Amino acid sequence: MPKSTVKLVSREGFEFIIDYKAACVSNTIRNMLSSQGSFTETELGEVKFPEIPTPILEKVCQYFYYKLRYQNSTTKNIPEFQVPPEIALELLMAANFLDA
Amino acid sequence: MTEKKPIELKEGWGFMQNGIDKLIRVLEGQPEEQFNAEQYMSLYTTIYNMCTQKPPHDFSEQLYDRYRSSFEIYIKEQVIKSLLEHHGEVLLKELYIRWQNHKLMVRWLSKFFNYLDRYYVMRHSLHTLKDVGLICFRDRVYEEIKKQAKDAILRLIEREREGELIDRTLIKNILSIFIEVGTGGMECYERDFEVYLLQETASFYKRKAAEWVDQDSCPDYMLKAEQCLKDEEDKVEGYLHTSSKPKLLKEVEQELLANYETRLLQKENSGCAALLRDDKAEDLSRMFRLFQRIPRGLDPVAEIFKEHVENEGMKLVKEVTEATESKKEKEAGKGPSKDSGTPYEQQYVRSVIELHDKYLQYVSSCFCNTSLFHKSLKEAFESFCNKSVAGASSAELMASFCDNLLKKGGSEKLSDEAIEETLDKVVKLLAYISDKDLFNEFYRKKLGRRLLFDKSSSDDHERSILTRLKQQCGAQFTSKMEGMVTDLALAREKQQSFEEWMRINGKKLRIDFNVTVLTTGFWPFHKVVELALPQEMVDGVELFKSFYETGNKRKLIWYYSLGTCHLRANFDPRSIELVLGTQQAACLLQFNDSEQLSFSEVQLRLNLCEDDTMRILHSLACGKYKILLKEPASKIIAKTDTFSFNKKFTSAQRRIKVPLPPVDEKKRVIEDVDKDRRFSIDAAIVRTMKSRKTLLHQQLVLEVVQQLSRMFKPDFKLIKKRIEHLIEAEYLARDKDNPMMFQYLA
Repeated sequence: MPKSTVKLVSREGFEFIIDYKAACVSNTIRNMLSSQGSFTETELGEVKFPEIPTPILEKVCQYFYYKLRYQNSTTKNIPEFQVPPEIALELLMAANFLDA
Repeated sequence: MTEKKPIELKEGWGFMQNGIDKLIRVLEGQPEEQFNAEQYMSLYTTIYNMCTQKPPHDFSEQLYDRYRSSFEIYIKEQVIKSLLEHHGEVLLKELYIRWQNHKLMVRWLSKFFNYLDRYYVMRHSLHTLKDVGLICFRDRVYEEIKKQAKDAILRLIEREREGELIDRTLIKNILSIFIEVGTGGMECYERDFEVYLLQETASFYKRKAAEWVDQDSCPDYMLKAEQCLKDEEDKVEGYLHTSSKPKLLKEVEQELLANYETRLLQKENSGCAALLRDDKAEDLSRMFRLFQRIPRGLDPVAEIFKEHVENEGMKLVKEVTEATESKKEKEAGKGPSKDSGTPYEQQYVRSVIELHDKYLQYVSSCFCNTSLFHKSLKEAFESFCNKSVAGASSAELMASFCDNLLKKGGSEKLSDEAIEETLDKVVKLLAYISDKDLFNEFYRKKLGRRLLFDKSSSDDHERSILTRLKQQCGAQFTSKMEGMVTDLALAREKQQSFEEWMRINGKKLRIDFNVTVLTTGFWPFHKVVELALPQEMVDGVELFKSFYETGNKRKLIWYYSLGTCHLRANFDPRSIELVLGTQQAACLLQFNDSEQLSFSEVQLRLNLCEDDTMRILHSLACGKYKILLKEPASKIIAKTDTFSFNKKFTSAQRRIKVPLPPVDEKKRVIEDVDKDRRFSIDAAIVRTMKSRKTLLHQQLVLEVVQQLSRMFKPDFKLIKKRIEHLIEAEYLARDKDNPMMFQYLA
């Protein structure tokens, strides 16, 4: 299992480098990364999302980290994940696409 | 957000089909690059888009169907063709490769079509993509190929059984297909493979067993059988599924062992009996292990074991009986027979102990201490231990054996530990004898003699055997004997206080006078013999009586036959100290007054019966030491004989013991025991009836037998007689309606 990082590329070509673990919050990304036969050795896996605009992808990455941070926490005071309403719809569609 | 143009089915699917073909090419091993992230993404995105489009462009259903059909096409075109070309082991290899490929394909495609799984499948409760793939494989490939695959595998297994090495991993892999195809259940595996496997196994071993049973001896056969079982287990470990293990082993056991069990055991020179005879411990353990696996397999083995032990026991009995018979013939007419202390009989008890040890060892080591074998051992011993040996019962022999161990100068010279051990074993053997009360009586008599004549070698041993007997047979058994041992201690104290009393009161006796006071109930003596004592002794008796009556209100009964006397006899050459019984001493002292006496005179003066007088005179005149001279000088006492003091008697020792041979008490003991038994039976009957009030004859008898079984085995006729007796004595009554029923009369 690659223990390093993953690069997510948005529609506009912006590159977001996040942890492998964070990326796996999305089942889609996880499946993709795990079925790449020749992938195990490479340091940096790259996934392109020509459908997803940059601000959405950015929010998505933030969500990955948010999820990871509070996944196993049992306390009740988890801060809310702020979603600006303008991007809400697109964010929803991206989430659907990514299965996260 | 830009509105995208909806993707048409044909267009979208064409794109997908390319991806699928590429995958197939990869699987077939053709030169093709692996998928990279971009291609993956585009395939996935295509599917995503096609499914999320608004109807009528929502192509989820079509995509689902085409997913399935792509599998089917692939299988039909490529897979089946290649599989049908091959046979046997090659087929299996090919099958495995195909299966692996298929799994890979399913994985990839389901990743691409993943979106379908998430919503479409759920919504319509269809099989997931993975399942679809599996089902395709199962229906198209598996169903076609399973028979051939199964045959190929069984062929391989058979070759392995014959000793070849085969590719185990291959079989394991193929069987995993069987299992996986069953989607969670084992039905495919069981139905399509296991059943045939079991059949094959059974027929294979049937053949082998038939061969081996004829050729091999029992231990060899067992070795082979054990080996086969191990091999089959190995197979299961190696490549079969664990659930097959018990079924497989059961088949093997059935064919190899169950079907031939009786034949094997009965085999002439190598069957179970022979193994026991030759003490082949290892073979016996193996036999035990093997037959333990089949239900009721051990019963015949236990039977044979029991028979064998019984035979060994009966052999011993016969040996001893014959030896004593021949010895008795030789010694006929030598005088009153001694009670069973002959070396043969001692040897018998010792051999029985050894036999018991040996087979107990067998039971614990070879037969793993199973209760079944303990039971057989017990029954075997019970059967021959209760047979009479050389005219005496085993109970008596054991009592004399113990006597020998415990007395001074007995024929056993063993260390303390050895004695303890042997005593332990004898007590264990006692458990097998049904007439325990007979043993009790004999033992008590001998114990009495040992204690009184101070012949016991060690007080500790006496006590230890009593504790053991108490543990084994209950406190009631040993209460009297313990009483006896304590009595002696008390009596010694009493004697000391008597001497104190004499000193205080200034009384003196001409002789040293020693009295041992015993409690009647504990000691087994019955006959009171009136003896006319010489004056010195009479004084002592009177004095003691007066001493005793100062403290106690009890009546004293004097047993002179059990006392010992030390006399100094002044013979011409020199004086010798004689240790004799009181009766003998009284007899000798008569000769102080007169030179010569006839038999009848002696009898008169001693006030004894004829038999006793005969015995006494015999010991003095015809025994080893001729203290009296007899006329005529023959070996047998007649009423017309006369006796005189032998002045010329001498011996190298300063002190000699003149033993008085005891009366053969065997008959007496048996009579006493019978009497006691009658009382016990009466008591048991009354006890039972009191608690039950009414009872059928048969049940009553059963109850009574059970109650008394700890001490002895009651005779049915005797019980019946006692019941009649109790009816006459109005303890019980026959029921008016049912003559077989009894009622308790309060």
